Amino acid sequence: MQAIEAKGLQKNYRTRVKAEGFRGSLRALVRPEYRLVKAVDNISFTVERGEIIAFIGPNGAGKSTTIKMLTGILHPTAGTVSVLGIDPVKERTRLAYRIGTVFGQRSQLWFHLPPMDSFLLLGAIYDVESRTLRKRIEELTELFALGDLLQIPVRKLSLGQRIRCEVAASLLHNPEILFLDEPTIGLDVVVKQNIRELILRMNRELGTTIFLTSHDTGDVEHVCRRAIIIDRGKIVLDETVKKLKYDYLNRKLIAVRFGQPQPVLALPEGITLLKAGRAAARLAVDTRVRSVDEVMRWLVNRGGVADITVENPPLEETIAAIFQQREAAGYEEHP
Amino acid sequence: MKSIRKYGAVFLISLQNAFQYRGSVLGGFLFYTLFVFIFFSLWHAIYQSGSVAGYSLRQVVWYLCITELIVFGAKTDIFARMNEEVKSGSIAYQLNRPYNYVFYQFFHALGGMVFNILCYGLLAIVLGLAMVGPLEKFNLATAPFVVLSALLGLIINFFFLLALGLTAFRLEENLAVFLVYQKLVFMLGMFIPLEFLPDWLAAAARRLPFPYVAWAPARLAVAFSWDLFLEVFPVQLLWAAVSILFALLMYRLNVAALQGHGG
Repeated sequence: MQAIEAKGLQKNYRTRVKAEGFRGSLRALVRPEYRLVKAVDNISFTVERGEIIAFIGPNGAGKSTTIKMLTGILHPTAGTVSVLGIDPVKERTRLAYRIGTVFGQRSQLWFHLPPMDSFLLLGAIYDVESRTLRKRIEELTELFALGDLLQIPVRKLSLGQRIRCEVAASLLHNPEILFLDEPTIGLDVVVKQNIRELILRMNRELGTTIFLTSHDTGDVEHVCRRAIIIDRGKIVLDETVKKLKYDYLNRKLIAVRFGQPQPVLALPEGITLLKAGRAAARLAVDTRVRSVDEVMRWLVNRGGVADITVENPPLEETIAAIFQQREAAGYEEHP
Repeated sequence: MKSIRKYGAVFLISLQNAFQYRGSVLGGFLFYTLFVFIFFSLWHAIYQSGSVAGYSLRQVVWYLCITELIVFGAKTDIFARMNEEVKSGSIAYQLNRPYNYVFYQFFHALGGMVFNILCYGLLAIVLGLAMVGPLEKFNLATAPFVVLSALLGLIINFFFLLALGLTAFRLEENLAVFLVYQKLVFMLGMFIPLEFLPDWLAAAARRLPFPYVAWAPARLAVAFSWDLFLEVFPVQLLWAAVSILFALLMYRLNVAALQGHGG
């Protein structure tokens, strides 16, 4: 059964443009000029119930605008949306009872008060009966290991602790779909992993459909089974993560620092040297040929390693690779 | 019943939140005292030559204490807050909830207003008594009607500000509309009683909503009469209804024009 269906979805903005300098300002004052920006440009997709879908793209790609149209916050310029069979524009309030949202860069918790106060407020806003709400808070406290955090003013929580509380707050009314907009932005590696595990548990234990936007390919690899890549308002790719990983997310970047200067590294197949210093190197690994684990062991066995970090290539690079491969294959536009 | 629980919870959490701003209230006490004292000195000098437009010195100082109580006590940052929320994109959390956005904003602001009015109300009484003594002919029995008028003043002011704030959904820069509104409220009753203005201006002002924010309750407090109450109360009710409808209409007209900012 479908949880989300978007057809020909489009959102245009009109922004004012001004030439540089004083003359430009004067001209804009007398004769303002506007430019039409297509933030989301005729996209169509469906999401099944219980699915975890990644909606990824670089900054300004149209991810948040799409989420805001799916939740009824923004009205589409054209196209239709159906979320749980409801039109978000016409019945925003009815839909609000059945969905939850987390905007990673914003907070829904009252800054000076402990999260528990915000939880009780949200319970009242979503008409959750008091006894049910208490039970739900207990369940979420256990699931998200919130413990004493609920009694500490939000301003004193770390970013990771706050995000855990934000996600829990969005689940108080037991939504059928959870929209997560950049939930891992600004988090360190350990906390990111923690949040990703929580999302998986939520889906597994509560059956919640997850619609996740991110510009971190790590979120996609670890959490999702399907990914839609969006760039400049258009869908570039709609694919299973397994295939995406094999075709495009098949490169890892490894930065290694040695305790002492090293001779030039003789690299095995599947590893490319991107940059070399006297006691440091930056390598690219083709994970179809060699696993990251193998490369790490190979480096450590050489001895003298002081530090190693593994990174995903930036999403922009992956998107560029997708474009190149598609152009090479003769695609004009996403089907 | 559900609505009472919903908006009651919004009011209570905003009241709880207001308790966190004790320091800011104490800072505001200093400004309130300074403001009232400067105008007390000014009025004191003016009143050397007798009464003005039927107001005694005592009445005009109490008038000032009450209108300033409305300025400081019912101070709401709704206009600035809405602008900030639209520009930062945090409006997203306010719009996708199962409530009426306009009434949510009212009860959100009401908690802070109630806290401020209680704090500044005590200060107003202390300052008024210290500077000019108790009001002549003040009748405690009529106080509830003054409070009712003040409440309607707050409602008129809040919903007009909210309606103007909603232009932020459509306009990139909307501070000008706020400044015009604020100055009109200030000049038409908040700063000086309406009776001090030329007759033609006072008569024109009474056809507008602005004097019903501060002048009506302050005039009733210092010179209560049933004639005046029966004259201004229905007009306040009318303007309160107009301001609420205006805010609801502005929400409906502007929500579709909202542009997403800040990701």
